[in-house]
Amino acid sequence: MTEDDDLRSRLRRADPAASLAPLAPDQTSRLLEETMTTTVSPRVSTGRGRRFAVLVAAALVLLAGGGTSWLLTRSEVGKPSAVVVSLSMPDGAPRKCVPPTVEVLAGGADFAFAGTVTGIAGDAVTLSVTHIYKGAEADEVRVAQTPGSSEQMLGSGRFETGQKYLIASSAGGVLTCGYSGEADSLGLQDLYENAF
Amino acid sequence: MKLDGRRARFEALAPVVIDAVRRYLARRTDPATADDVLSETLVICWRRLDEVPADYLPWAYGVARRCLANAERGRRRQARLVARIAVLDPPRGVLDGPVPPDGELAAALSRLRDEDAELLRLWAWEDLAPAQIALVLGISANAASIRLHRVKQRLREELGKSGPPGGHEQSREGRRP
Repeated sequence: MTEDDDLRSRLRRADPAASLAPLAPDQTSRLLEETMTTTVSPRVSTGRGRRFAVLVAAALVLLAGGGTSWLLTRSEVGKPSAVVVSLSMPDGAPRKCVPPTVEVLAGGADFAFAGTVTGIAGDAVTLSVTHIYKGAEADEVRVAQTPGSSEQMLGSGRFETGQKYLIASSAGGVLTCGYSGEADSLGLQDLYENAF
Repeated sequence: MKLDGRRARFEALAPVVIDAVRRYLARRTDPATADDVLSETLVICWRRLDEVPADYLPWAYGVARRCLANAERGRRRQARLVARIAVLDPPRGVLDGPVPPDGELAAALSRLRDEDAELLRLWAWEDLAPAQIALVLGISANAASIRLHRVKQRLREELGKSGPPGGHEQSREGRRP
């Protein structure tokens, strides 16, 4: 036996699930049936997503500004009780946006969450996280915005206290261009549900 | 027809996923949360069946891990309010496990960072290889391999510290002459 085997055996003896009785076959089939019948229709690659893309395309033409500077820092301050993540809004010259797609969001974002704005102090917006779609655990996210930068978000184009947002980021930079905004913006929730 | 294919595939993999994810959750949370998170995990597996890879268990563990984190975030918020009550009424089943608890191991694990201890759990309890652990945690296979190696070493050190027969567990209390 190697040292590793010894260590593994010792850990296994402490496995809290060792005494867990398997689910009875009828319970398993019930669970299976419930999963397949009570859920919303399975993800379809055409249809809803495409319609959403068309609808949102028009809105995006109006969005100006933003840059491709995704290489901003993302720092995670490790506190056991509340994990805080810092993000920055993009900043830069006006640009055109292509309609958002599930694939780009799924592949391009390393962090995505739903959260409610709990405070705005100067350029710093604090959001309390309600759901993480992708990425490391976080309780609170602080977004640094520059004047006008939040206009690139879907919805009203600005952060408001008490309002709920869906925000995706890559390497610490918030993804705009139809990928972040108010949670009830047209199609945004669907986009997140389908991407993550 | 396509739907029948989906059904068949889901029916083939779901029982295995159910069994594995139930264990995964029983190791990490209370029974009620485990039930909720299991259902949610299955729904996501069903909804995203097209993306489920051939080696589906690490993928399913990754989904369960995220769902559990989300369930616990909501609970943590409430828990801050009722923390004192929870102390007075601890979860059941902690004291009467079937196997005498390995206190020394539990203590050694608790001294590790939680993300490090999680690597060990995935390795020993879920029986995953480093590349599969990497998939669950969303890190590179290389990083998983290196971190796992280090944390095994750390655990051995901690176990050595906490009480070899006739050991020196109290030695930290006194200053060396």
